[in-house]
Amino acid sequence: MSSHHIIPMKTLISTSLALVVLTIVTVAVFYLPIPAPFDVVVALLLASFKATLVGMFFMGLYYDEKFNTVVLMFSFLFFIVFIGITLLDTLFRDSGISVW
Amino acid sequence: MAEAHSLENPRLQHHFRNADQQFSSSKLGMWLFLFTEIMFFGGLFVAYIVYRAWNPELFTMAASQLDTVLGAVNTVVLIGSSLTIALAIRAAQTDKQKQIVNYLLMTILLAGVFLVIKYFEYMHKFDLGIFPGAYYTFEGIDHPKANVFFSIYYMMTGLHGLHVVIGIGLMIWLVVRAKMGDYSSKWYTPVEMTGLYWHLVDIIWIFLFPLMYLIE
Repeated sequence: MSSHHIIPMKTLISTSLALVVLTIVTVAVFYLPIPAPFDVVVALLLASFKATLVGMFFMGLYYDEKFNTVVLMFSFLFFIVFIGITLLDTLFRDSGISVW
Repeated sequence: MAEAHSLENPRLQHHFRNADQQFSSSKLGMWLFLFTEIMFFGGLFVAYIVYRAWNPELFTMAASQLDTVLGAVNTVVLIGSSLTIALAIRAAQTDKQKQIVNYLLMTILLAGVFLVIKYFEYMHKFDLGIFPGAYYTFEGIDHPKANVFFSIYYMMTGLHGLHVVIGIGLMIWLVVRAKMGDYSSKWYTPVEMTGLYWHLVDIIWIFLFPLMYLIE
């Protein structure tokens, strides 16, 4: 099996169109009254889906060895760890923990 | 043993079994580098998240200074540039030498459009006194921490813009080599690597756009 998969033209074009449509949807949704924090959640879900399309079909992860996708998944995992541990500090700074 | 002979493919290095394994290894190496880039920008995203959690109303107020239309146009511009660089790789895979050059030039052009739009956005802000850090003098946002949003904005879009400039530099080099006929279906690894880098630059902007421009 060759690692030189040639991504079909149809796939590239339809992925581009999907990305443009999703961009328009992202802007349109912005003008809808969605209560916080769900407006951020929706925006991030849309962005994540767009990023997935770019990763799978432009960057070729759909056709590549699965290990490359594993590397990408690990980077997200560590990014989440980064955010999570930081927020454990910053979100609780004024928690009124009584001082000894 | 015979398949590792360099006469078959002059680009084949002796420590790889065959050209295919070499290409796979290059891709894996590039993905590991992209991992570091994700952590690099990740640090700035963490700063964004922390400050937005601490000052939600500030972000809503300050984001109104950003032009949603220009941001959306830039998003579509980068999506287009991702398509054109994917087409450049395809041209190399199908031995269409002239197309490699043309698609790379289109990608550089679109990247340039992105930078021009950012230039006008920055100039408009400078006119208002919206400068990074200590140089901030804009009075139009009624919040004591207004400069913080823009420090984050300038850091993130600035670092991203720097990555765009680096990408343009890489692609100019690719155009020079492609014109010399260096790339073909036998070997086009630098084009593939630059493509992966460029798609990540696109992905980062795909997240930057809603987080900076679309805050209600």
